[in-house]
Amino acid sequence: MAMAIDNAFEVDFSSYSTTTTTTTTTTTDDDLACTWNDWGSPVVDWDSLSSERDEFQDLIESMMDDGTGIELARVDHETSNSVSIDTMVADEESNREDFKGLRLVHLLMAAAEALTGANKSRELARVILVRLKELVSPNDGTNMERLAAYFTEALQGLLEGSGGGHGKHFITNGPHYHRDEHHQTDVLAAFQLLQDMSPYVKFGHFTANQAILEAVAHDRRIHIVDYDIMEGIQWASLMQALVSRKDGPPAPHLRITALSRSGSGRRSIGTIQETGRRLVAFAASIGQPFSFHQYRLDSDETFRPSAVKLVRGEALVINCMLHLPHFSYRAPDSVASFLTGAKTLDPRLVTLVEEEVGPIGDGGFVGRFMDSLHHYSAVYDSLEAGFPMQGRARALVERVFLGPRIAGSLTRIYRTRGEEESCPWSEWLAAVGFKPVNISFANHCQAKLLLGLFNDGYSVEELANNRLVLGWKSRRLLSASIWTSPDSDF
Amino acid sequence: MFQPKKPSTMNSHDRAMCVQGDSGLVLTTDPKPRLRWTVELHERFVDAVTQLGGPDKATPKTIMRVMGVKGLTLYHLKSHLQKFRLGKQPHKEFNDHSIKDDLQRNAASSSGMIARSMNEMQMEVQRRIHEQLEVQRHLQLRIEAQGKYMQSILEKACQTLAGENMAAGGYKGMGNQGVPDMGAMKDFGPLNFPPFQDLNIYGGDQLDLQQNMDRPSLDAFMPNNDNICLGKKRASPYSGSGKSPLIWSDELRLQDLGTAASCLGPQDDPFKSEQIQIAPPSIDRSTDLDPISDIYEAKPVLSGDGMGDKKYEASPKLERPSPRRAPLQADRMNPMINSGSVAQGRNSPYG
Repeated sequence: MAMAIDNAFEVDFSSYSTTTTTTTTTTTDDDLACTWNDWGSPVVDWDSLSSERDEFQDLIESMMDDGTGIELARVDHETSNSVSIDTMVADEESNREDFKGLRLVHLLMAAAEALTGANKSRELARVILVRLKELVSPNDGTNMERLAAYFTEALQGLLEGSGGGHGKHFITNGPHYHRDEHHQTDVLAAFQLLQDMSPYVKFGHFTANQAILEAVAHDRRIHIVDYDIMEGIQWASLMQALVSRKDGPPAPHLRITALSRSGSGRRSIGTIQETGRRLVAFAASIGQPFSFHQYRLDSDETFRPSAVKLVRGEALVINCMLHLPHFSYRAPDSVASFLTGAKTLDPRLVTLVEEEVGPIGDGGFVGRFMDSLHHYSAVYDSLEAGFPMQGRARALVERVFLGPRIAGSLTRIYRTRGEEESCPWSEWLAAVGFKPVNISFANHCQAKLLLGLFNDGYSVEELANNRLVLGWKSRRLLSASIWTSPDSDF
Repeated sequence: MFQPKKPSTMNSHDRAMCVQGDSGLVLTTDPKPRLRWTVELHERFVDAVTQLGGPDKATPKTIMRVMGVKGLTLYHLKSHLQKFRLGKQPHKEFNDHSIKDDLQRNAASSSGMIARSMNEMQMEVQRRIHEQLEVQRHLQLRIEAQGKYMQSILEKACQTLAGENMAAGGYKGMGNQGVPDMGAMKDFGPLNFPPFQDLNIYGGDQLDLQQNMDRPSLDAFMPNNDNICLGKKRASPYSGSGKSPLIWSDELRLQDLGTAASCLGPQDDPFKSEQIQIAPPSIDRSTDLDPISDIYEAKPVLSGDGMGDKKYEASPKLERPSPRRAPLQADRMNPMINSGSVAQGRNSPYG
């Protein structure tokens, strides 16, 4: 299934808008264009929707049916070769799968185009989404089908919610994903599974931690300001490493200041206070001197560096985990405010983990949409490759984390029409003057070993002296980069 | 550690004698005292160089500062660093001053030179292997630490849940949308933890996990793949596999997803120092094929070293862990470390 998608992408990237054309829908609304015989299947009055564009109509119709016509053609072709029946059937199966997958991709692309393209038609988008919903479900089917289901829901959310702003600090999940409704047990189970099934979380944490350890090897006091501490698990392994380090001053004191936000609806596992208590308990259990502080951001999430309590002689580290799979998107203003403020604190080290997006062309929303589809398709594939039989476990992870992320991703892209926010934060850091810090051999080695524990499909590349990128097959997914303040001589 | 012996007390006639100075440096006693690079010292050297960003970035001065070893001079470091760097580029020889010194020392001959470059390469290979082992070892410990922490989260949630459920007078259902097969949950009392149940079902065909266990480098170290197979059916599909990690996995559970059971069991302080090395008691699922109900019975089975079952009464209140567990831990650590180091001979983690 992944192959089909890759092929589709390679072929189609250059020509997003070929599948949709103009429609004359100026005066149509539900009653004229579509009547709904039941919830699922609209009876479409094509005449009012399209002009004399027969090819478009054919295309849509071909998407609407089950494609049996095409399959027959394929079978005919294959019988002309002297291939065994079994192979033929198997080929047919996978061809059918591929075909189905391709069709879903085309439908999604058409819907995205209909939603935002030059010839917008909410009506058309709605119709396509209805059709999609008939074909896919978030709980069963192949990877592509489940993925398409979440993208469909996300698009649906955009369609219904579009026109309304979500406020400056939108919790970027579509209206269909009410994170609050996820019971904590679901969230915990999904989080556990996510960590077991994929290296994403550990890659981000361990790469950052290794860089931190190297940077503070000779320090007695370490202070980490954590942008989004979530459940705090990153610091468990750092503490373990500090406690057992052989060089440098023994028993270094660790202090963590965690930013907390007043908003609700976090998918996080508990509150910042709980995280703090847990970390304190963990530190005590391994004998790590530790203290925990909370920095409460006000509602506009402006970071005021002067409000951070600093201690003389401590090594300051800024930790910024942005896009681990179980994180929600943060408003860019908030991140920018944090990193700008961090700069004035002259930190020894800045660790940044963010998702790696594809090259930002001028494809607008549809281009970014397809890139996002590609991205999450790779994530789904990576989970499946590691654990092909644990479909339900993966479905849980998808439902709790990836689905909302997809919705969030599309909402962000939609709001900016794919034009702004194209700059990765690592580039932003470089632009404002942070200096890169080399990834050490040990760090790179650790990443390779970590990935080796999961699946051969994962790869780690050193895209710059200070940046490791985790990828699945040919798709880069997560980037970890290390920096120091512009004035530092580290 | 380092013995505080003074070099001057040694017999200076004895050319071959090596002494250990205050700082632990081993110096020969011939007229021109040469520093003997012991394994330990070399390790520190390598660590320092690594920290400084590799042999090309490090300078004798910075290395000296980082190593912080008394008695180590720039001269020592300069020549050692040179050799070290040569080890990385075996073809970049004969260009340098210190090489001439070395050659003079070694009675320059072409065979001597070749021997030297072979030596450098060997050193380099050794250095790499050494570093990799270190990284492996650290990675292992770090993953364990994450596992421990995760456990505390799960247990806390379990307790909270148990409290809620008891207060609510029984368990109704968790509103899991889309997670199927909740039928099994009806069999459970108030102290269950539904998603983990379902995950039991998730682990239907666990033969899959084998492919994830086939890791060249950390072969004996299988971090959390284990946890997907929450089901009790672990023993049978694996019995024919002959893969050592599986046996290992039963003995040494880094992290136990079925911590629902530990909600029932005595788990006072999940982070007692003795438990750092090993996972807290978990349910022994290797022998019990009855999938779900056992987790929530009153008597969870404590898996010791995979040999015997330790059963004990579980009550909703927490009790102190059994002291018998303590002696096992020392045993368990060793196989892990040993097999970790054996693994390096197999495949390179570089892939």
